[in-house]
Amino acid sequence: MTSTAMASSAQNTKKLDGLTLRYLVLIGLIVIASVGFSFANENFYSLTNIGILLRSIAVLFLLSMGMTFVMLTGGIDLSVGSNVAFSGGVGVIALTTTGSAFIGFAAAIFAGMAIGAVNGFFIGRLKLSAFMVTLATFALARGLALVIYDADSINVSNQTFLWLGGVSWGNMPVVIPFVALVFIALSVVLYKTTFGRDVYAAGSNFATAFVLGRRPEKTLVWVYVLSGALAGLSAIITVGRVSSGQPWAGLYLEFDAITAVILGGTSLFGGRGMLLGTILGVLLYGIIINGLVLTGTNPYLQSLIKGMILLGVVLLDTYTQRGKTA
Amino acid sequence: MSNRIDMKGIGKSFFATRALDNVDFSCVSGEVHALVGLNGAGKSTLMKVLGGVYQKDEGVIEHNGKPIEITAPADAAKAGISMIHQELSLINELTVAGNIFLGRELKRGGTPFLDKREMARQVKMQLDRFGLSLDPNKPVRELNSGEKQIVEIIRALMSDSWLIVMDEPTSALSEEDKDRLFEFIARMKAEGIAIIYISHHMPEIFSIAEQVTVMRDGVIVLSERTSDTTEDAVIQSMTGEELEHFVKPHKEIEGDPLLSVQDLCKAGTYDQVSLEVRPGEIVVMTGLRGCGAPELAKAIFGLDGDYQGTVHYKGRPLKPGRGPSVSVRDGMGLVTENRDKNGILPPLSVRDNIALPFLEKTVRAGLIDGGYIDKVVDKAIRDTSTKTSSPDQEIRFLSGGNKQKICFSRWLDEDLELLILLEPTRGIDVHAKADIYRIIEDLAERGVGILILSYEIDEVIMLADRVLTLYQGQSVSEYVYPNFEKDQMLADMAGAGQPH
Repeated sequence: MTSTAMASSAQNTKKLDGLTLRYLVLIGLIVIASVGFSFANENFYSLTNIGILLRSIAVLFLLSMGMTFVMLTGGIDLSVGSNVAFSGGVGVIALTTTGSAFIGFAAAIFAGMAIGAVNGFFIGRLKLSAFMVTLATFALARGLALVIYDADSINVSNQTFLWLGGVSWGNMPVVIPFVALVFIALSVVLYKTTFGRDVYAAGSNFATAFVLGRRPEKTLVWVYVLSGALAGLSAIITVGRVSSGQPWAGLYLEFDAITAVILGGTSLFGGRGMLLGTILGVLLYGIIINGLVLTGTNPYLQSLIKGMILLGVVLLDTYTQRGKTA
Repeated sequence: MSNRIDMKGIGKSFFATRALDNVDFSCVSGEVHALVGLNGAGKSTLMKVLGGVYQKDEGVIEHNGKPIEITAPADAAKAGISMIHQELSLINELTVAGNIFLGRELKRGGTPFLDKREMARQVKMQLDRFGLSLDPNKPVRELNSGEKQIVEIIRALMSDSWLIVMDEPTSALSEEDKDRLFEFIARMKAEGIAIIYISHHMPEIFSIAEQVTVMRDGVIVLSERTSDTTEDAVIQSMTGEELEHFVKPHKEIEGDPLLSVQDLCKAGTYDQVSLEVRPGEIVVMTGLRGCGAPELAKAIFGLDGDYQGTVHYKGRPLKPGRGPSVSVRDGMGLVTENRDKNGILPPLSVRDNIALPFLEKTVRAGLIDGGYIDKVVDKAIRDTSTKTSSPDQEIRFLSGGNKQKICFSRWLDEDLELLILLEPTRGIDVHAKADIYRIIEDLAERGVGILILSYEIDEVIMLADRVLTLYQGQSVSEYVYPNFEKDQMLADMAGAGQPH
């Protein structure tokens, strides 16, 4: 797989070794969960369902990759879910007023980056708490989305704009190879550029990174801008999936992304983790959620299970980290 | 009443590693027992067994001849054993008395209200008993590190401890505070308290300890009365070999100054300090803690722009507070005094820790060249004789000395021109120290200008081409090799002959 090749050619083969066990366990769990759900529902293994599953978690892949960068710096981005609604709204309105799909794409991504830049400015430059700043923009971006949509959805019929999120080649939604391309591009950025090294450095020890002549405050700004850009991309895919812009799009996605990233072995405390783990984390989490839907599990129970998964992985992460620092 | 603890045949393994092997260790009230050894020799493991943090695999611990089980810190406390930690565990917002009585506060007869007056009175009584002057009602945040240590010790004594374990107690103390601590230790001895004293400083050990025990690789290699042994014998048994004494090579220093600092002032910190460093020259600033030298060094490195005066580097004036990124690009390096706070990146590998400052130079066509990094990192590890299982090892698993070598090895890059070192050998053992001195000399040999802050006079004299003594932020005098007068330097540092 490209991803493992990426990872091992990277500067931290050792980190992969340290995380190998974690990844093997995740792969094992993915297999067990798929087998389990296919017993419960014979449709689970159909190519159609795999296509549906992958398409339904395409957005989560993107947001979780952005979240991985953020959490590697020791931060968190609670605003991504609301940002999907906001940047989607900006994109759809740009599209409907100009009629140009490309202006719509650009507007959505710029809007996502703008929210990210606000996060980055307050967190990186003014050194405010990432949790509090993105909690504020979480509400702010949702509010903006409701204002620009006037609390109502907008139908989209421009086929170019809908292509990425809506079209399939046979059973393969086009968004899946797109996500793979983004994964490869972000892996190169994380493992093979100075920015990627700075992401790890800022999360490992901000003060040391600063003294060594790095610019960790700048790194933080760009990490949130990246997370915002991926929210903008996610917005385009979301609009494509349902052929309309929705003010309540992306609800609870920050929760899912954070859970998947921690599940994938990225430390809550920064400096430790890899994109490959996040991909596995999203897959496992997506299969569980999809399986719960297919088996007709009560939606209230689904939320309960999500909460328990997050609590469980946080517990695991914190205890394994404590063990290591003792 | 006389107390003693005897640890007999203590063994402890961590997986395949034998951390302690058949260790016998005793201490008796009224005595100071010094415990020495290189980093990783097993001193801390032994003390953690005594303190109930680790469980022994074999052996017995006897208190006054009766075997006792210490399976948790509470058991140690019950047996009268207290540990004074390097990182002090006081609450800044509470007063001295509040901290001492924390968790067992005195109440006013049957009410839930605190009896602050009685607590303060009892603390005052203890302080008087040991000849210490400290206000029990002062908030701990206003105390210096020496006073905080005293509060910790008094807290231990007031919870009926008779055995105090001190780990490198003088590493963060000024000369004045050290003297006061030694005085306090002498009083405690007279009161029948036993002290286990972990330290690297031979003169301290020989002036205050009755017994000295040396550990190496988990076993006791020497245990003698200090009156029956010598510093050299102790050092030799620590390292297991004749220590090569570091000898400063002689060299000629010429050329224009690389760094020239004129009349640097920062209110309340340093005042009118001037100095020059030429390529290949080792300039050492020294004084007591609080002499202003670390702040001065940080201003030169661009970390602090709040000063008056000028700094010229390579003939150009430097912009105040320009930030370390500019300084590093310009060939400056800094090794900070606190490795764990801003020296290392704990979760990252040795390789990533070394490569960070020169990443830009490894970029080919926008991407990092991993092969180039490997080459530089391997060479840096070799040149500093850093002990690590591989460059992929996470740095936090290394010993203090090896971490410090990593902090040096990042700057060995050929573009380095000025290296600023704050307390370069703080908290590391004699072996690692010798390596660090060699690295510093090698760099100077290569033409790198070096500005050091050191509080250890012997180190100052051994390393320097030029010494600048500081007292309360003012430069006192300058000495040029080989005209170093140790007594005069010590007098300068202490402010002798200075107007008050």
